[in-house]
Amino acid sequence: MKLFVNERVITIPADCNIEQLLTLLESPLKGSAVAVNQHIISRSTWTEYKLNEGDQIALFQAIAGG
Amino acid sequence: MLTDPETLRYSRHLLLEDVGESGQLALKSAKVLIIGMGGLGSPAALYLAAAGVGTLVISDFDHLEMSNLQRQIAYQTSDIGAAKAALMKQRLAALNPEIRVRSINTQMSESQLSMELILADIVLDCTDNMASRQMINSACVQAKKPLIVGAAIRFEGQLMFFDHSKADSACYHCLFPNNDEQVLNCSNAGVLGPVVGTIGTLQALEAIKYLLGLPSGINNKLKLFDAKTLDWQTFAINKDPKCNVCGQIQ
Repeated sequence: MKLFVNERVITIPADCNIEQLLTLLESPLKGSAVAVNQHIISRSTWTEYKLNEGDQIALFQAIAGG
Repeated sequence: MLTDPETLRYSRHLLLEDVGESGQLALKSAKVLIIGMGGLGSPAALYLAAAGVGTLVISDFDHLEMSNLQRQIAYQTSDIGAAKAALMKQRLAALNPEIRVRSINTQMSESQLSMELILADIVLDCTDNMASRQMINSACVQAKKPLIVGAAIRFEGQLMFFDHSKADSACYHCLFPNNDEQVLNCSNAGVLGPVVGTIGTLQALEAIKYLLGLPSGINNKLKLFDAKTLDWQTFAINKDPKCNVCGQIQ
């Protein structure tokens, strides 16, 4: 299925969850935050959260600078 | 009642329907704790002092370095080597002698932070590292104090507001649950001064709005700022019932 990660189209297997998506993207799990359709998804639910065709994913890192 | 000098000083606030004399008096009676007097804390503290927030408690354990001056706009070259919180106290007192400023020049322990929170109406996290951010968040959840979090590196900013006086509030730890995350900061990733300044300025704006009783547009939300395009993204943060910090708060 196709979905959007940071506004780029990505094709991933159906029934993929968020943790699997990050693994496919070779993105670190630690320090990352994920939003699906403008809602932050808690890390405690990443393995159970199934992604859907057309989802708009925002993937970004924690930053601490100030 | 405002004094005559205060009426003159805050005349541009008094013209605003959302502020007026009652709003200005609310600012005057307010106490704000600002932790971190760097690139975020510089504009945040200057704006809150200028606005007439009656009591500011400012905290930083660092001394000013040459490399700070590119973005930490409250300081001058001749200040290098001095304690930032002490420098900022002088700067704020010179800016607005009508307010009280107390500076904390040492790194606060958890218990000291908890004591400071009892006295504060709202807290601004302007720090530069994950450990401090997690400690401040946890203490604010426990003390039920509203927290405005800002962060910036490179061309990116993050801004969030959690009103911990509300039991259903999400928290910083719901978003970033690992205390030991290796995260980017200004020293290892770099930052443009106006990027961190934009976020610090917005922390001051949100604090003033909160103290005036105006609703925040970012309660339980994360705003991401892209300084290259000037685009903002907004994300809702729901309380994570499994959060180690706020999950048990009913």
